[in-house]
Amino acid sequence: MVLEQLIGNLIQGLVLGAVYGMATMGLSLIFGVLQIVNVGHGAFIMVGAFITYWLFTALGLNPIFAVPIAFVFGMALGLLFYYTAMKRLIKAPELASLLVTFSIGVLLQEIVKLIFGSEFRGYNWVVGKINLGITVLPMTKLYAAIGSVLIAVLLYLWFNKTRYGSAMRCVVEDSEGARVCGINVGGVYAMSFGLGIGLTVASGVLLTMFIPVGINPYMGGGYTLKAFVIAVLGGLASPYGAFFGGLVFGLIENGSYTLFALIPGVEPFALTRFFSFMILLAILLVRPTGLLKAK
Amino acid sequence: MKKAQKYAPILPVLMAYIALFVVGKGMTGMWQLVATLLFYCALGQAFNIFMGMTGYVDFGYVAFMGVGTYGMALTITRFADFQGFGVGIIIIGFFAALLFSTLLSLAVGAVALRLRGAYFAIATIGVNEGFRFLIEGARIWNGSEGLIFTAQLNQILGKQSASRLAVFWADVIVFGIAIFAACLTLAYMRSKIGYALTALREDEDAAKVMGINVTKYKIIAFVTSSCIAGLIGATSWALKTPYVFPPEVFEIHYTIEAIIIVLLGGAGTLLGPIVGGLIYGISKYYLSVILPGFQLLIFAPIIIVIIIMFPEGVVGVFRKKIKGTKLERYFM
Amino acid sequence: MNRTRVSIVFVLCATVVFVASSAFAAESIIIGHPACLSGKYAKAGEQAIGGIKACIDWVNTSYGGVSLGGKKVPLEYKYYDCESSKEQVTSLIGRLITVDKVNVVFAPYSSGLTLRGAPIAESRKMLYMDHGGANNKIFEQGFEYIVQTIGPATSYHQGTLNMIKKIAPKDKKVAMAYEDSEFAKMVMQGAREHAQKLGFSVVFERTYPKGVTDLTPLLSALKASKPDFVLGGGHFEDGQLFNRQMADLDLDVKGLSLIAAATLPAFYNALTSMAEGVMGPSHWEYGVKYAETEAKKLGLRWIGPDQDAFVALFKKSLGKEIIPDYHAAEAGAQVLAYVLAVEKAKTTDTTKVRAALGDLTFMSFYGGWDVDDTGLQVGHSMVDVQWQDSKRIIVWPEEAQTGKPCYPMPTFAEKAKGKKATP
Repeated sequence: MVLEQLIGNLIQGLVLGAVYGMATMGLSLIFGVLQIVNVGHGAFIMVGAFITYWLFTALGLNPIFAVPIAFVFGMALGLLFYYTAMKRLIKAPELASLLVTFSIGVLLQEIVKLIFGSEFRGYNWVVGKINLGITVLPMTKLYAAIGSVLIAVLLYLWFNKTRYGSAMRCVVEDSEGARVCGINVGGVYAMSFGLGIGLTVASGVLLTMFIPVGINPYMGGGYTLKAFVIAVLGGLASPYGAFFGGLVFGLIENGSYTLFALIPGVEPFALTRFFSFMILLAILLVRPTGLLKAK
Repeated sequence: MKKAQKYAPILPVLMAYIALFVVGKGMTGMWQLVATLLFYCALGQAFNIFMGMTGYVDFGYVAFMGVGTYGMALTITRFADFQGFGVGIIIIGFFAALLFSTLLSLAVGAVALRLRGAYFAIATIGVNEGFRFLIEGARIWNGSEGLIFTAQLNQILGKQSASRLAVFWADVIVFGIAIFAACLTLAYMRSKIGYALTALREDEDAAKVMGINVTKYKIIAFVTSSCIAGLIGATSWALKTPYVFPPEVFEIHYTIEAIIIVLLGGAGTLLGPIVGGLIYGISKYYLSVILPGFQLLIFAPIIIVIIIMFPEGVVGVFRKKIKGTKLERYFM
Repeated sequence: MNRTRVSIVFVLCATVVFVASSAFAAESIIIGHPACLSGKYAKAGEQAIGGIKACIDWVNTSYGGVSLGGKKVPLEYKYYDCESSKEQVTSLIGRLITVDKVNVVFAPYSSGLTLRGAPIAESRKMLYMDHGGANNKIFEQGFEYIVQTIGPATSYHQGTLNMIKKIAPKDKKVAMAYEDSEFAKMVMQGAREHAQKLGFSVVFERTYPKGVTDLTPLLSALKASKPDFVLGGGHFEDGQLFNRQMADLDLDVKGLSLIAAATLPAFYNALTSMAEGVMGPSHWEYGVKYAETEAKKLGLRWIGPDQDAFVALFKKSLGKEIIPDYHAAEAGAQVLAYVLAVEKAKTTDTTKVRAALGDLTFMSFYGGWDVDDTGLQVGHSMVDVQWQDSKRIIVWPEEAQTGKPCYPMPTFAEKAKGKKATP
């Protein structure tokens, strides 16, 4: 019986992990190219969630269509913030960029609150579910997972098969060298930041397909913290690493829950979180480049 | 440098704190505001010792305040039934707070201080959150229910004194802590420690090559900074507020406030945290009075503008202006 | 832009704003409130302010003002934003007491923040009225100036248990799943004790942390214990998540009662058909039968607007078309309690008013009101609300019912097909 539950939880974890992973890709991309940690990460996910909610309830638009819309919106937002604020912080000590990205997150929160109020919102997109016997998987969660995988694949193609993508990789390797080769490094920075934010906002859509309730301006904080753990798991600078990190994280989070629940007198969810943060520390110490081979 | 010259910079600091105290006691209704401002200044001073001087960002800083609060809270609740200890229990509480924060910072230091930059920042978040979930998960120290102990405090000190403590004496103690932190900062800055930390902030590898024992100095600054955080937690949180709930005392927004205060004032300077704490505290307070509900909306862009245009903080800009004048040796 | 110029402009703006904010008060009784207008309690704070303004409006216009010393004195309301943060609470209360010279301080929302402000209010012998802190322990600390209007945490689920015992005495298996926080734990402690007293057996009891994003593992384990009904405990986000993920897992039970979240309109908006039949205890719900006639029957003093008047005043004070929920009602009721107490004590002296509050019993649109010696609210009973055909029906206690309970509630599959929960 416990084994059944374990497997059931692991399946749910894998599906959840795909979405988490995709949500973290933007964070790793921005760090990889610009060496900036986007502490306002969660706020952008929140923006994506609200876009989905609004498109669904006001325009009756299917969340699947919300994904590209959110992505484009996110890119625009990213470019806006890049040219107004982030550009000047490329060479600054990380403290400055940490604080600025955090403030951007707060600004987004407050603006969304002004527009939508602090009410907790949700939407109900009915598409049925699959009964796997040991667990029940709603179709929306499956779509979210498939969507995440698709986007990860697209990103892979982008980096390896297009000129812009290759340019980005060059800048990650050696920004001075890239400049010498004639690559417009400033442009690459802008594009990367825009792309990273676009990915993050789009992931907000997928996340609501997974959890379509509880949408409110302050929902981002918890996701930022999770994203950090996942990014480290996969290697802070690697977007694909982030995706796999997400899968691993989803498995650990749901799998360890079953095991911790067996211990009497403890709060299994909290211990799971504790466990995941311990893993974060272990990896930082032993393999800071993450679980995958160094890129 | 002559002794007097060496320690001259402490004068503006003392003057600022004395002025605050006088304003607080003198003007009606200002004491609680001064207490809040003081909290921010002390927080800034403590945080500055590590972050300002080394440039490392400890994102999990609030954890040290948290364990300090627990140290005091646990002492109060466990010892409340021992008759006749009175104020002694509070003093034991401070030692407990110091002990807890020293232990935690040594543990964190051993792990995190090997890392740099963003990795260090994330590792410290890991410790902060990890510790909080440990308390909630393993249900130690009463787990997520936290501790509520006004009644015990009343038992130990008698209702009148306990009340006085919460609304006045606790803040006086914070004054003491802030001044102590400032003196420590100056002592560090003027000693070998200061030189080593400045060297490593500029270029850690070069400093290592030059033979400076970078790890030793990092640890000294880290533990000092954390211990003072523990004392602040024990006072501003445990003594002033008769309860402890884990999610509250590990809330990351206090770390962010500390970062803002230090950066606003000028990281690595002596006066910076005071200036930063005052500006931040006063702005927040008046914004919440005049425009309730909109402070963050206004604050966030202001912070962005300030960081981009004045990265060295108010005191940093000020120091640039007075370079070469006599004032220079008073304003560090 | 030149840096010096930027700073000068900034300082000038700040000074102008600061100077412009000086205000002066006329002869009136002032209620002070460090409200939570931003931060995690923003929603509850906004509701509270609406409720307070609505009742103050009623007192000043329909009631004519507070009868004091032969005159009718108006009420004034001074509130600031404590940002749901501890540090602001104390500095703002300090300001309210000394600079604004308020006559009473309403506590900020949540047990934690209420506790944070208690020492300073107590040290100034300032009356401190609690409308958002339900933790019983607040009243075990020896505070003498605090009075509670919200019902204590331990009573939340007692009504539900009483109801199920009456209508389905054979259903004895209850599962409890709740947030690992002091408030929820207190609620469930009360629930557990009451359940055991009534002969129920708790077949599942587990907690989840605040801010949880996925309850599936917990719910899978809950499903395996096959309970008859489920009692949940938490706040807004997890409440919505709980219901939603139960639906995802096809976790069907005969009854589900969730605190805090389930009775708010946003709940049904977010969950639509999945929320059919879900119940929740509430301090107040539009539709309760408290009215002047009821009060007369029970021999209680009645004061305040009736329900519909309250709702109208509430919408007017916030300038928005939103329905008040219990946060608004309990904050508003506090205003009424204070007015009655001042009139009874014939003074605004805080010690005498506090004593008057101790002896006071009355009824308002919010329900009954009576406190014990420590200030704990004992006169107010909670009601159980159930979503039936997208409307909130009060199903318990029988004296407050607007409809019969629907038990067992339809399965999630039936609900998805459009079946409504009707008794």
